[in-house]
Amino acid sequence: MSADNDSPDLEALFDSIAASVHLEAPSPAPVAAALKAGDGKNLQALFDSVVSGAQQHAVESAPGAQSAGEAGEGSDWPAQENVFNRIGQMARQLHTTLRELGYDDLLKNTVSALPDAKDRLAYVANLTEQAACRVLNATDVAQPAMEALEGAAKSLGARWDKVFANQLTTAEFRGLAEETRAYLNGALPEKTGIVNAQLMEIMMAQDFQDLTGQVIKKIVALAQDLENGLMSALLEVVPQSKRSEVPNLMNGPVVNAEGRSDVVVNQQQVDDLLDSLGF
Amino acid sequence: MPDSKMKILVVDDFSTMRRIVRNLLKELGFTNIDEAEDGAIALQKLNGDTFEFVITDWNMPNMDGLTLLQTVRSTPTLKHLPVLMITAEAKKENIIAAAQAGASGYIVKPFTAATLSEKLNKIFEKMAAA
Repeated sequence: MSADNDSPDLEALFDSIAASVHLEAPSPAPVAAALKAGDGKNLQALFDSVVSGAQQHAVESAPGAQSAGEAGEGSDWPAQENVFNRIGQMARQLHTTLRELGYDDLLKNTVSALPDAKDRLAYVANLTEQAACRVLNATDVAQPAMEALEGAAKSLGARWDKVFANQLTTAEFRGLAEETRAYLNGALPEKTGIVNAQLMEIMMAQDFQDLTGQVIKKIVALAQDLENGLMSALLEVVPQSKRSEVPNLMNGPVVNAEGRSDVVVNQQQVDDLLDSLGF
Repeated sequence: MPDSKMKILVVDDFSTMRRIVRNLLKELGFTNIDEAEDGAIALQKLNGDTFEFVITDWNMPNMDGLTLLQTVRSTPTLKHLPVLMITAEAKKENIIAAAQAGASGYIVKPFTAATLSEKLNKIFEKMAAA
């Protein structure tokens, strides 16, 4: 968080303000100079607001310091303490504001990341649907080719059985031999070619996995960040007694059944459960 | 063996799932298949035509599978229909709720062709015995 990174800056700021107020309270110029050395837009904006604040405080505190000085020698300390207290409060306020700004950045990031995550998930849904369609289309093409192969092979096989049973004439045998040759040289390689092309198509349809995998990893990381932030915020505000699960019958697939006794992990457990209940 | 001309309605909001179930049914010899993409459309089709078997998902928009099942069981003209649920919902209370609502069978996704075949046969046996 940026608040951590800012502490050296804050210290420098504190020192410079303290030094300048201590040395020459009515003139905030060195403060401004010191502040200008700060980096980052947010910091700069804050510094600017602090500068104006410091000017005010300086103007307010200056007469007090003067009157305290006038009231009596040796009583400088209460006045200086007053100034230091004010500066301490300012530094604290600045620190708080910076932290808030840090959270503000996180919120901004989240707000911009969420639509991005939605787009990414839509992309995953799109790619997986396309892949499923490609595979189903490929099987639709391959299955008839395989059925044709099987049918032709069975018919030829049955006729070859007749040859071995001496049930065919010489002319029939010649016809069978020619048909078998044509099948082996023509229909068979043609159909296996079709099936092979579809197997290749099925293989290529898996190319989504690489792309969706990368996208999903990014979204998982985002979700974890969000979950951590939300969980810690929720745990702070939700009383223990209210932390019960809301019953719901539409949860979708169980992605991690480990250590859960309220879900089934396979069909056998479904059957066992139904049997045990007498259904 | 059940009639292979038996008219079956496959209800799922994902077209790929409908296609897979349809292909598996074809593989098992059933060719008279219609599809619906949610419970509401399924109910329209069931009321408008004569179906003999329903295979439905649970989690769907408009009308979910459990509501479809309950509606079928409370409709005099449909209540005899066998309803097989194929769903990713795997909580025990889901399975119990489906059974209590009168589901004829319950298959959890992902499932195999063998599971579908086994559950169908079990339902047909019960139907024949009844």
